[in-house]
Order: sequence, then structure tokens, then C-alpha cells
Amino acid sequence: MTRFAEMVAASNYSFLRGASSPQDMVLTALLLGHEGIGIADRNTVSGVVRAYAELTHLREYGVPSGAKRKTGGSPGEFEWVARGEDIPFGQDEIKAKAAAFKLAVGARLVFSDGTPDIVAYPESREGWARLCRLLTVGNRRAKKGNCILHLSDLTADAGGLLLIVILERQMPPDTCMAELAGAAPGSLWLAVTMLRRGDDRRRLATLSKFASRYRLPLIATNDALYAVPEARDLQDVLTCIRSGVTIAAAGRRLQPNAERHLLAPQEMARLFRDAPEIVTESADLLSRIDFTLKQLTYEYPDEPVPPGWKAQAWLEDLTRRCALIRYPKGTPDKVAKLLREELALIGQLKYARYFLTLYDLVRFSESQRILCQGRGSAANSAVCYVIGITSIDPDQHDVLFARFISADRGEPPDIDVDFEHERREEIIQYVYEKYGRHRAGIAATVISYRPRSAIRDAGKALGLTDDVTARIAGLQWGSWGEAIPLDQVRQAGLDPENPIIAKAVEMAGRLLGFPRHLSQHVGGFVLTRGRLDEMVPIGNAAMEERTFIEWDKEDIDALGLMKVDVLALGMLTCIRKALDLMQAHEETPHRLLSDIPQDDCATYDMLCKGDSIGVFQVESRAQINMLPRLKPRNHYDLTVQVAIVRPGPIQGNMVHPYLKRRDDKKEIVFPSPAREHGPSDELHPVLGKTLGVSLFQEQAMRLAIVAAEYTNAEANHLRRAMATFRNVGTIHLHEKRFVGRMIARGYDPVFAQNSFNQIKGFGSYGFPESHAAAFAQLAYISSWIKCHHPAAFACALLNSQPMGFYAPAQIVRDAIEHGVLVRPVDVNESFWDNSLEVDSPGAKPAVRLGFRQIDGFSEEWAAKIVRHRTQPFHDIERLPRVTGVPGRAMRLLSDADAFRSMGLDRREALWAVRRLPADHPLPLFAAAAAQELGVDADAMLPVMQLPEHIVADYQMTRLSLKGHPMQLLRDALRTERILSCAEAGALKDGASVRVAGVVLVRQRPGKGNAIFITLEDETGIVNIVLWARQFEAFRRDVMTARLMVVTGCIQRSKEDVVHLMADHIGERNAALDSLSDTHRTQIELSRADEFAHPQIPRGRHPRDARVVVKSRDFH
Amino acid sequence: MKFCGLQDEPLVLTGKTGNALRLSAVSRVAAGIGLTPGLTLADARARIPALIAIESDTDGDTRLLGRLAAWTDRFTPLVSLDGGDGLILDITGCAALFGGEAMLRKSAMIQLKRLGFSTKASVAGTPEAAAALARFSRIAIVAEGGDAAAVAPLPVMALGASTETGLALNRAGLKTVGDLATRPSAALASRFGNDLVRRLARICGLENKRLTPLRPLPQCRAVRRFPEPLINADVLEDSLKHLLGDVFSELERRGEGGLTFEAGFFRSDGEVRRIAVETGRASRDGPLIAKLFAERMAVLADPIDPGFGFDAMTLSVLHTARLDAVQTNLEKDQGENGFSDLIDRLTARFGRERVHSFMPEDTHIPERAARRSGVFSKGSKTAWPQSEPDEPPLRPLQMFNPPQPVDAIAGTPDDPPKAFIWRRVQHRLTAVEGPERIAPEWWRGGETLTRDYYRVEDQAGRRFWIYRRGLYERETPTPQWYLHGLFA
Repeated sequence: MTRFAEMVAASNYSFLRGASSPQDMVLTALLLGHEGIGIADRNTVSGVVRAYAELTHLREYGVPSGAKRKTGGSPGEFEWVARGEDIPFGQDEIKAKAAAFKLAVGARLVFSDGTPDIVAYPESREGWARLCRLLTVGNRRAKKGNCILHLSDLTADAGGLLLIVILERQMPPDTCMAELAGAAPGSLWLAVTMLRRGDDRRRLATLSKFASRYRLPLIATNDALYAVPEARDLQDVLTCIRSGVTIAAAGRRLQPNAERHLLAPQEMARLFRDAPEIVTESADLLSRIDFTLKQLTYEYPDEPVPPGWKAQAWLEDLTRRCALIRYPKGTPDKVAKLLREELALIGQLKYARYFLTLYDLVRFSESQRILCQGRGSAANSAVCYVIGITSIDPDQHDVLFARFISADRGEPPDIDVDFEHERREEIIQYVYEKYGRHRAGIAATVISYRPRSAIRDAGKALGLTDDVTARIAGLQWGSWGEAIPLDQVRQAGLDPENPIIAKAVEMAGRLLGFPRHLSQHVGGFVLTRGRLDEMVPIGNAAMEERTFIEWDKEDIDALGLMKVDVLALGMLTCIRKALDLMQAHEETPHRLLSDIPQDDCATYDMLCKGDSIGVFQVESRAQINMLPRLKPRNHYDLTVQVAIVRPGPIQGNMVHPYLKRRDDKKEIVFPSPAREHGPSDELHPVLGKTLGVSLFQEQAMRLAIVAAEYTNAEANHLRRAMATFRNVGTIHLHEKRFVGRMIARGYDPVFAQNSFNQIKGFGSYGFPESHAAAFAQLAYISSWIKCHHPAAFACALLNSQPMGFYAPAQIVRDAIEHGVLVRPVDVNESFWDNSLEVDSPGAKPAVRLGFRQIDGFSEEWAAKIVRHRTQPFHDIERLPRVTGVPGRAMRLLSDADAFRSMGLDRREALWAVRRLPADHPLPLFAAAAAQELGVDADAMLPVMQLPEHIVADYQMTRLSLKGHPMQLLRDALRTERILSCAEAGALKDGASVRVAGVVLVRQRPGKGNAIFITLEDETGIVNIVLWARQFEAFRRDVMTARLMVVTGCIQRSKEDVVHLMADHIGERNAALDSLSDTHRTQIELSRADEFAHPQIPRGRHPRDARVVVKSRDFH
Repeated sequence: MKFCGLQDEPLVLTGKTGNALRLSAVSRVAAGIGLTPGLTLADARARIPALIAIESDTDGDTRLLGRLAAWTDRFTPLVSLDGGDGLILDITGCAALFGGEAMLRKSAMIQLKRLGFSTKASVAGTPEAAAALARFSRIAIVAEGGDAAAVAPLPVMALGASTETGLALNRAGLKTVGDLATRPSAALASRFGNDLVRRLARICGLENKRLTPLRPLPQCRAVRRFPEPLINADVLEDSLKHLLGDVFSELERRGEGGLTFEAGFFRSDGEVRRIAVETGRASRDGPLIAKLFAERMAVLADPIDPGFGFDAMTLSVLHTARLDAVQTNLEKDQGENGFSDLIDRLTARFGRERVHSFMPEDTHIPERAARRSGVFSKGSKTAWPQSEPDEPPLRPLQMFNPPQPVDAIAGTPDDPPKAFIWRRVQHRLTAVEGPERIAPEWWRGGETLTRDYYRVEDQAGRRFWIYRRGLYERETPTPQWYLHGLFA
């Protein structure tokens, strides 16, 4: 058998060139019998970790890792599918093959100075460092996403690198060859590829002559762009996308044939029968490589440890000192014991530096008065609480640190720290400053093809017009499997039999998940002790002052590197602003998250009523409906509340049993094994707190250990199968094992199967208790502020927009309903931000809307107005001269009706403002303009009517304090016997009703069986449910209605949660438009509306859709 | 624009504004179901999946309107465009010819309807008033001096000022032209500029501005009027040469050459005859153009009839292109020029649709690599593939269509052939090279098999281009052989 290894293989991380994933390249090469493979993408090493992880996976499990497949439009809606199911080898054979298989990782250096491409493989760790630095130089020289390399960059120091020169038609000039030969003596090869251009043999002879002139060895390769010849069409489509041409026009930009795949060694031998030695040369080259990614050992930075201290001793000392502050009355025994255990574990695993690094960030954040909170499995620890990383008191809650950091896992701990989103940049710059750009880098995010972009690009490449691809892409709801279901294509009014459409749909399916380019991750930092650019190449981000590394979080995890997540959370900004407002206007003593009193009864009363608009995490419609049923009374209840409205518990059928048990203690039973297999209460410690129902990811794991008798190693394996995509090939084994063992031990088969379904659900959308608890804490704090300081809460929430689910109009309305006085924007009273006004000491504060509520107004104008407002403005003509704001600002202000304090209403102000001189008068006229304008005769303008005012308010500030558009239509609606929302909400269960209201939200959650619509009028809101089967009939009305009329039947639950089940839906936009012919009634849809804001987070790789799904507040 | 059979369908025209495809016009049916111009196509589709969307062709619209303007010549020579969809006719003094203003309006509308257009038309004292009334009212004819009263109820948008101004006026509560007309113009001028006041005056008939007539002006034109009508063909040819001389000296001054030339023959009885010739390259070559005219006129199906003679001749250059003076090559090597002169003469004689040339196509597939095309079609962006210096040509000049099946003897899977039989003659091969592997263009359908081409030479020194159709085992168990071309 010929010894051969393909040493010039590109993966799809050669963006829009390679047509197979690194995983597929490794697997195919291994199955073909190559001795190894060299993965080299264009000026990047971003795909090599995936190849490495695939090989590791094959060695360990003998099956390929799974691929992730989207099943829906929402984050986390995906499933794992097994790859390579038709492999003709058994698992043990594959393991053996994988063990002998060798992976070389490198890059194909593409130069911008005419030098031929050179594939470079590091021979050693030093070589890797050299390669990373070389690519970093090229990346930093170019704009984002580019790499500009010159031959001299390489030849300056090619130590530790093995170089393969790829020869195209033209032979490189002698100077180039001489330079290379000098820089890499004994480490230089010339690649020969059988191009099938008709002159292969002649070319081989020419190349041999050329090589012998420099005494260089030739090496045979197929310069592979994909794993199997069947990928040729996909590669053609990628070429078209890259070049921005259609396939019909692509011509000779495409490869002439399908030969650029991985070839079997015997086929290589046949092609190169004239010179067999150059085939085996590949194996010789491979054998010289002594570097694997495993050698990238990670070392934590030293910075956080003061000189003279050992990290562990310093952490222990710090913990001791901080504990004195946290527990002034003495550390409780429970906590003291936890601290001892955790510190011992940290010491054993040498994680002290990691904790100190986080501590350093948190301390800096506090010094800058930036709120922050840690979460994540490892954050669930007493040490984290004591040193201030988290705010969940281990004395009051069970913390489970040891369960998440197990000694035999050897994985770095996982703690995310959330910071105020408006100030996170300060933290990021602090990190750069402290550790230096050569040692700190943000992780990458792989931007890859999602259904919409895939069909858009594939369709365009195949020559479909934009509107056709838009139509197919518009099928965003429902299942996104490997391909778009044909009936969906038909539904879009297209013929799925049409060969071009069918091909486009097929291509889009194959393109899904293909990487397009790298972008920076939101806040995952990698910090190193030595030079970061010797571990991984660094590149420029699109944002100024940002650099990021070429690996994403998945890669970082796979290599076991430590990362620190510096994340942004809008709610923290909101809480900080609320606390500041409360302090300034109400003289409250609260400064920090931990200052808020716990277990406040009034706060929980409020939540139990479902009164949670604006509150963190529990403000969605689904959560609001759940609150009166779950009736949270303490932090743990709230933790459950946060976690329960999620696909995991829903898929596992856990929600209803839990609610029943809360209602009726008699329902609480614990599943138990048969008597001979164990004590009947063996699940009490596992499921006790959740009333015998498993709701959290942690519980699912404990179930495996206790009920299915998993060993630690098995449980670990299951956890990884659950958490990462690499182990899908093995999850069905777990299903048999888990369910089988539980049934064998006498458990109810339904319970066993449900438990496993839930694990599968968690795999994609799990919510661990540790995260839920941290979120519940913020949910509680925001509720407490809303309950006791509604004005400050509303004000802070408005000032933190955009965040959360609700639009300003709804936030303001909610505040008014809670007794807050809200005052309109006024040029003499408002600031940029919304503010609080306290009329007399001790009085309840009122909210004054700020200039930021005016669409299109700038912060700079607001600052000018405030700066010059030493005394009230009286004269609209003088105002721009005094403050220097431009005419556009004046127009926006007058249209927003902000001159009332001068005695001018909207229309009068607009009339007056129009007369002001132009913004930039010629110098000659500047003096003239400074003079008073002549007296203007009274224009006797018609009086502006209330409807016009209300509509104008909505258009300018997206809310009106003068009234609701619906109240203007009320009389007309009455004559049609259309009820208001409040009236409808008061009806009995089963009543038939017609209601009208402006549309706030349209959602189609989960599997999309029902569409939820929320309508609003001057009396309140009503929630509509429309079954999906009826949707098509009313599609146009649902999509276009701003004012909707719904006929249906009231459904009232025993907790008084009311829904209107729709039979008929109609739009009445014309009525809304009739209110004013000068302004458009612009009802702002809620941010949760899925039509206006498709809920697919942009720019995130599906693989990055986290196991723990974060709220939409993250930025 | 007419779309046969689509009257009852929701039809919209789309155009790209910014980054989005938006509706630029909607049919009556589409408007009836709530679609309005300005909506994004994606939104419209979401509402009405069965929507028929056609990309709007603004250039085509402009051309159409231009043609209509020329057509309205029959009513008055003074026509100007009004926006992208309107025409203004100055019918001062013309109405009498048609039986009065009302009859003229009616006759124009009826004739336009026959052409498939639905129209609105108003007659008023000023162009602005007429345009506003046609667009915003149903008033057909305004009596003399009645303009101000007629336009008073129109919305302020009828003034044709910017949308921003219109909106600002509306927001001030001033919604009709009448609302403005009654207010002191100083207050309006100080807020909305003199332009608005001027528009107001014009629409109210207080100020009238002459139309700028729309007349498609040739790039360059020369006229000869004859004191006596001419009949003699030689004299006509002579004056054509003079005219050419006139326009060429003008074109030379501009550094341009003519591409389309049009000669106009004005007969004394009012009949006008126009003859045009085109050249492939910009030209100032008098004798050449004169020859083209002569050849063109010689082959006219209905020859020019001088009747009672011509009293004038014009020569218009309709299209020009840059042409710098060049030094004539002393060696008389005409090269490119000679070739294009030949094409000019061939087309002048046989008609442009009868002359063809080959254009390179960007494809790997040999039989598609060259395309027959008209000589005046735009040059292909593709260059003819250049073979390597000192390399034998990869592809033959002469190819068979369809390729000739042959029987060949060759080893599997892709060894070159040793011999083949073509037309019962066996060719024993002494030299072979290949394969050059060309896979089918999968997106076209049809051919699904990959070809392996070989350049071969037989013992007689004849060189062939043959291929194996289908990859052995991977695509077919029995590949067939074909002869595709002969090397010279």
C-alpha cells in the first residue's frame, strides 16, 4: 500500500473556497487510508481546532462527531444529527485508524506580492509560535478579515516551519526561490498536482527539472478543496458567491472538473506512476512534524497575584479577609465549611489564578461604580460570593460548586461576568491595558450561513432574482432541516419542481452552517501569561481599538484554554441608573445589588399578580401568564419561574406536573425504584426542592447518577454529549442506557423517557440552576425597584432603551398605571435622559420625559440646550442663537410639542421655527441674522385638534401623554359593537366577543402551532391566540394590521389568565390613518415582535447558541 | 406600460431604493388590497404571497414618455415633460385647428386611449395650473382667468414643492392652495422661500413662464436649403457630401466621430424622408459615409421619390463617440480599421442582421467557447483564451458539431487511446497527450458525463482532438469515444 498523506487540504475555513468542513476532511482522509492530513486554510488557522477535535473524538469514541441542525428560527432550536452513518468500519477499527492517523495543522500563506502560495506547517511548538506571529503581522497590517503578507515576512524567520511551495503555471523567479531556500534550508518542498489540464506529464517533467535545479524534493498533492467529488457543485456555488457572479456567468472562474477532492493513496500512486517517490515524500514530510495542538498548554497570567505571594495562598488570604467584611458577625459554619472545601479543590486543580483574575475585574468594575454579577456553573460557589463575584449568599441558598468543578474533568472553570452594557467597553479597555494586546484577545465568533443568508446567496449564485430568494428566505418559520421542506416552497407560491429552485434549496441546505468569515465575540477574553500571538494569530476587528483571535469559544473549550467572559447586560445598566435616580431624588441608601432588602413581601405580591412589565427575565407574555399560576414567594420560586418557561422543561413535560404540585401538596410524589433496587426515597435529595419534578440541567445529571446508576465517567460523558456537538454519535447509546437502566430498576417507563427527553431538550436549550439563580436575583432586584420606586424604575428603563420586551409607550403607560406622574418633553424642563422631578421634599417623584424620546434628536443638541438654560427660555427666536442648535433640532422640538412652557403649541411653534434663518448664514449675513427678526403678523393658523396632537406625539416620541389613538375611535367602534380590551377581559369564560386594538406584539413560539398577538387600547391589553392552521387565511391582516379587529371566544383560566381565541382577524389601518393627515400613527411594535424583529440573533454561529440561553438583553 | 392579461392580478413594479427593493408603482388591484408605493417588496410579499412583481424600468419609462412627447407633435410643437409621467402641451393658438380646446383635449385623450394609455388632462391658463389640476382634480377646462379659483381647493402638494415643504404646510394647518393664497406672501416667503411663493403665483395664473420645448436635438446638424427644388440625383449626392463636410468639421473640432448619421430629405410638398446609416466605430471619414449612404439608398425597398423636388436637406449626427485625430499609417496597413470598414460596408449592403462574427464566451465547454453574434453587439468582456507561449494550441480551430463517434482502444480508467477508427479508417496513434478533464456544466442540465480530452497524432502525422465521454466506473461502465476536432 502506498504511503500517502494529503498535505495541501483546504477546509471551508478557506472562506468561500473550501467546500468541506475540517471534520469531513479528517474523516474522509482517514477512511481513504491516508497516513494523515495537513489542514491548511488561506492565511488562517481558524479551522484547525475543529479538525483536531474531530480526530480526538474519533480516537476516543470511534464515531464521527455530530453536526448541528437548526429546527426552528429561535435561538437554541436545533438538534444534533449523526454524521457518517454509512461508515464501513466498526468503532474499534475507527479508533485504531484514528490512533495511527496524524493531523498536521498549518496555513496556506497567500502573499500579496506575487509570491506563489506556500503551505506552512510548524514542525514544533516554536514553529507554531512563528506561524501565529507571521499571520498576526499579516492580519494587523490589513483591515478586518484580510491578511497582507509579503515574502520577506516569511523569510525573515522561517524557523521551525516546513514549507511547501504551490506552483501554478508560471515558475517563480529565481530570486524568490533563492530567498526561500536560504530561509528554510532542508524544509522546503515543491508541490506537484495532477491538474488534468492535458499537459500533466510534460508539466511533471518540467517541475522535476526545476526542482532539481534547486535540489528541492517534490511532493505529490491534489491541492484538495473538498473531501469527495460530489462537493464540486457546492464549490462552484461558493466560487460564484465569492466572485459575486451567477453560475451561468462564472465561466472559467470555476474549476473545470470535479478532481479537487481527497484521493485514495493508490489513485495518487497511479497518477504519479512516473515518479512514485514524490507520493511517499508526503508521508516523509508528515513524519517530520512533531507538533500537535495538544502542546498548547495554557498558563494563567501572573498579574493578579502580588509579588511574593503564591496564587493559592493569596486567594485563601483574600477569601479570609473578604469573609470578615461579608459576614461582620462571623462567618456561618455552613459557609466556612464550604469555603474550606472549595479552596481545597481550587488548590488541587490550580485554578486560583483564574479566580483572582475575575476578582481583579470585579474590583476594577466596583471602583468605577459599574455594577456586575457573575454567573455560570463555577460561579455558584461560596468563594465567588465572598470575594464579590456573585451576589447569591451561600448561607441562604444551596450552592453546588463541587458538582460543577470535578477533579477528573480537567476542564477550565466557567464563570461569566455580566457588566452594565453601556459601560462594558471600559472593562474591555482595562483588560487590554492591564495585560497588553499581545497577551489579551477577544475570542472570535464564526459568522456562518443561516437559512436566510444561505438561500439568498445560493439563490443569487444560481441566478434566481432577489424577490424569489426573498420569498424562500421568508419561510423563516417552521422547521429548518437539511433542506427546506418542499411544501413550504409551494406555500411561498413557488414551484418546488422547478429545477433551479430545487437546486437552490438543495444548495442552501448544504451551505447551512458553512463559515463565511470571522467576527469578534461579544466579550470572551483569552488572557495568557506569555505572548498570545505565539499561541493563536490575532486580527483586527471592525471596531477600532479591538483585536480578536482566530478561534471561537468552541475551539477555546476544545483546547482547554481559559477564557474570561466579559458580557454586557442591559438590566444592570437599568438597575444602576435606577439606583442613582433613587439616591439623587429620594435619598435612598441603596448603592449595590446586595443593598436591596431580600424577601420583600410587597414585591412578591406584585409578581404574583403578573405585574412584571419591564422586570428582568419574567416580563414576557408567557412569563406574565405563568406568574399567577406559579405564585413565587421567595428567591428559589423565582429561580424556578425563570427556568420553567423554556423548551427543556416543556419538552420533558415537566411544567404542568410542577404547577399541579404547587397547587396541591397531595400531588407531590417522588418516582421511586422497585424495592429491591434501592430506597424509595432515593430521589428526595435530587428533586426535593422542585417538588419531585426535574426542572434543571443539574437535576437531570443527578438523575442519571442516582436513578440510572451512572458512574462518574459515564455521567461526565453524558454531560458532554448533552453540552457539546461533538458527541452526538453517542447520545443514542445514552438513551438506551439511561432509560433502560431506570426501567430495569423499576422506575415508571414514562418518567424515565420524559427525563431523557428533557436531557435532550437541555442539550440544546438547557437552563442550569446556577444561571437561573443569578438571573432570579436580578429579576427580584428589578421587581423590588419597580414595586417601591416605580418612577425611578420607569425612568431608568426608558434611559436604558433599547432593552427588554417593551416599547417606551408601554413602559410609560405601565408607570402611569402605577401612579407615577409622567410629564411631557419640554425645552425648559427636559434633559437628554428622562429625569425625575420632585416638586416638594418628600413628595413622590414625577418622570419628565427627556429629549432622547424624540426620534432623530441628538445628544449633542440636548447638551447645548441644557448648558445654556441658566434661566428659562422665553423667546423661540433667540433660543437657537443662544444655544447654537440647528434648525433641524428646533423643528424636531416643535413637532414634539416641546415649547408649551413658552406658551406655544405644536403648530404655533412649528410656524415660528420655520421662520428662523438658515443654520449657516454667509459671513456677510451673520450680523444681519443676529438682529431681531421683524415683527411677524399673526398667521391666524387653524387650531390643531386633539387627534392630530395625539398622532403627532406618537410619531415624534412614540408615545402620547394626551391620550390613546384608540379612544378617538371609541365612538365609532361602539356603533359596531366592538368592545374595549378591558371590557373583553372582564367577560366570562366562553363568551363571544369582538375587540379592536393597536398591535403590540406578534409571536409564534416554539413549534409554531399558535400565533400570539397582543392588542392594546386606552383601557388595557388583550391577548389573542390564533391557531396556525387559521393563519394562512388571515395572513395579510396579521402581517399588516396596525389596528386589528378580532372576533373570537374568551378563554379564562382559574388563575384569571384571559386569552381570546380568534376566529376572525381583520385590519383597520385606514381608521388609524384617518386620525390625522399630517402625521402617521406610528405604534411601535414591541421588541419581542417576531415579524418586525426576527428573533434569530444575527451574526452568531449556531454552534454558539449557548447551552445556556441568554436573555435578549445581552449585547 | 401594458401587461396583457394581468389587469386582474395584484401587480407591482419594484425599484431598488437604498438597499431595499421597494414598490415603485402598484396596479389598481394591488392598490385596492392596500399596497402602496414605497413599501418594501419583502413586506408586500409577506402580505400577499401571490404578488406579481416586475422590476421597473425607469429608462424605458423615460424613453416611452419621450416617444409620446414626439407623438404629441401633431397637436403642437411646444411640448415639455412634466415629471416622469406627464406632458405639458402649449396649445396657444393650436386649439382652433382642432375645433376648440375641448375638442383638442378629447381627441388627444381618445387617441391615447387607443394606444393603451389611461390619461388625465386639464386645460388651464398656465402650465403649472394645468399640471396641478390634471393630477389633483377632475376639472377639464378652466375658463380664462379662472385659474386661481380652480386651484384653490387643491391640496398644497399640488404646488409641486418638496414633500418636506408640503408636510410642513399641512402641519401648520394650511392644507389647500387657497389657504396659502389668502395669506400674506411675506410670511410664506420667510418660511418656505421665494420658490414657494413663485409656484403659488404661477399655479394661480398670476405669473406665466414659457415652456422649454422638448426637442430631441441631434449631436450635430447641418442644413442646406435650395432656392429651387432639386431633382437631380448627382446634385443631391453632391450636397450630401457638402453636408458631411460641414458636420465633420464640427465633429473634428469637438474631437468626436459620428456613429449614426441621418439624412433628411424635405420634399416641397411637405413629405419628409429620413435615411440613416450606422458605423461600427466612430468615424469622420467623408467618402466612407457617403459610400455607405449610396449603398444604403441603392438597396432601399422603396426608393426615394423626389416628386416635385426637394427644397431642403439636413444631415444629423445622432450618436457620436470620442475620436481623436490619428496619423495615417504610411504603410497603408489598415488592420483593425480595415476590418471594421469592411464590416461597415457589408452591413450597409446586406443589413446589419445578416452579418455575424464570433465572440469568445467564458466557459470550459469547448463547443460553447465561441458564440455567433451580431457585429454591432457589445464586445464580449471575455478575452479569447491565450495559450502559453511556445506551447502547442490546446484546442483545434475546427470542431465537429456534433462530435463524431469513433471506436478507440484505450486502457482503463483514463489511459490515453492507442488507436481509433473514424469513418472506417484506423488511426494508429504515435503521440498522445492528456487527459484534459472537463466536467459538464451541472447547472444547465443535459450532459451529465465528464469528458477526458486527448490531443493525438497518428502515424501519418495527422492530429486529432478526441475524447472519452464518461469517467470509467465513476460515471459509466462503458465510456464512449468521440472525435471533436482536427488540428490544422
